[in-house]
Amino acid sequence: MNIQRKKYPIFLAFILIATYLVFVDLVDGDWSSLENSLDNLSTFFYESLWPPNWKVIEAQSYPACERNWDFLCSPAYIGITETLKIAFVATGLGFIIGLPLATLASRNLYSDSIAIPFRLLLSAMRTLPSIIWAIFFVILVGLGPISGVLAMTFYTIGYLGKLQYEAIEGLSNDPLDAAKAMGLKNSEIIQRVVIPETANNLISQLFFMFEYNVRHGSVIGIVGAGGIGYYISTYLKFLQYDKVIALLIILFIVVVIIDLISIKARSYFIDNATFKSPSLFENFFRVK
Amino acid sequence: MCDVIYAANLRIGYSSESILAEIKNLQIKKGEIVSIIGESGIGKTTFLKNIAHLLKPISGTLKILNSDNAPERGEVGYIPQKLGLIKHETVFFNVLEGAICNESILRSISGLHEEKVIDKVEEAIELMNLSNKIDEPIKRLSGGQQRRVAIARTIAQGPKLILADEFLSELDDKTVENVWKAMMNYADSNAITLVIVEHNIERAKLANRCFKLEKNDKLEYSVLTEVRI
Repeated sequence: MNIQRKKYPIFLAFILIATYLVFVDLVDGDWSSLENSLDNLSTFFYESLWPPNWKVIEAQSYPACERNWDFLCSPAYIGITETLKIAFVATGLGFIIGLPLATLASRNLYSDSIAIPFRLLLSAMRTLPSIIWAIFFVILVGLGPISGVLAMTFYTIGYLGKLQYEAIEGLSNDPLDAAKAMGLKNSEIIQRVVIPETANNLISQLFFMFEYNVRHGSVIGIVGAGGIGYYISTYLKFLQYDKVIALLIILFIVVVIIDLISIKARSYFIDNATFKSPSLFENFFRVK
Repeated sequence: MCDVIYAANLRIGYSSESILAEIKNLQIKKGEIVSIIGESGIGKTTFLKNIAHLLKPISGTLKILNSDNAPERGEVGYIPQKLGLIKHETVFFNVLEGAICNESILRSISGLHEEKVIDKVEEAIELMNLSNKIDEPIKRLSGGQQRRVAIARTIAQGPKLILADEFLSELDDKTVENVWKAMMNYADSNAITLVIVEHNIERAKLANRCFKLEKNDKLEYSVLTEVRI
């Protein structure tokens, strides 16, 4: 038997067996919690979750809101716009701060003695999930969107910085060699070679990160860092799960819309010989 | 006259355990046009990268423009095999990359280029007959035009030594002739030393002197010798 030809099925089988064995070890024989799980889910779904309570798109009584249209004073609108604003500012700041750090972490531009400490810094920043950063900044600056922006910015720097230095290190050596041989300084090489050559990737990553930050807006809000997560957390505390599901549906719709716009926008910046960008429908269903 | 390139007992490669080639003695004077031939993987590009100070020699002496140190800003022009152009940017942007060697880093970074720098860019583009493509992105140019942009970038730089790595490959005969002529004329009229790595012997014959890197039966690495072709 040629093992080389069967390597993918063998690898898949290995992953399956290993996963099963580790899971069994983890559960340690106590499978009882799974026994009533479907019944519990069904009860929870029909008694507490469904139907969604659409009062979340009606004006709330507090704080006072003087906008003409009720929806503009609703928890759904206020929460989602705040989440979008937090994600926008955090992505922008993360990009601006992350890019210089990413260039310093690139081993094809700087020696290991410079690149490795910056890699460690970026790695440390993304080791903590945004929710932990959010808890930290809520303690530091108090409840509200500022702690949300700071938490997401820190995580964005770490995450985007890694994507950026990987894009820089993926650059072809030739343009860098030509520039280095000319005697250009690193600052000039970054400006004239690195940024133009990686621009498409960087812009594409920027859109991806914005979309990612909007999705995470619901998580960091739970610890009081503002946005739609603040309302989700409040309704969870008062066991108003029907309102929670309504907000989650709204968040899902917003994320899908952003995803569509983001894929559409990214398609203009990703290398494509035909310069043809896919239609909105093709973005989701990959029609050939 | 000082040597533009002087090498003695030079060993090159990626580590002392894997020496690629040895150059016993090499002297190249100002204005000489030199070609280096040899099989693929024999160390031609590595030698060129050593001259360009992109790699460090393993041992021996290598002096470029009479100095052991890295050449001054703009003194060496290097055209890699795949040209090293910024594909999404215009001809002007790419040629300007060479010309900024003639101004301070502050001016180059700020984008407040001196008038003489812009003039150099336009002259180099005109010399390569690319004036009608000045605002075209590189990716929309033909192979021959892209090579002419790479030469224009080096001309705008105004170097004393040009290193070109198989930059005529993948071109048809007519384009090779045009690109080669343009390069020769510029090097000749400005007394610039030109070192070209070639695997095509016919093209290598066009140089004043030709060197060959080839494996030595007794040694594990290749050696450089001058050949008459």
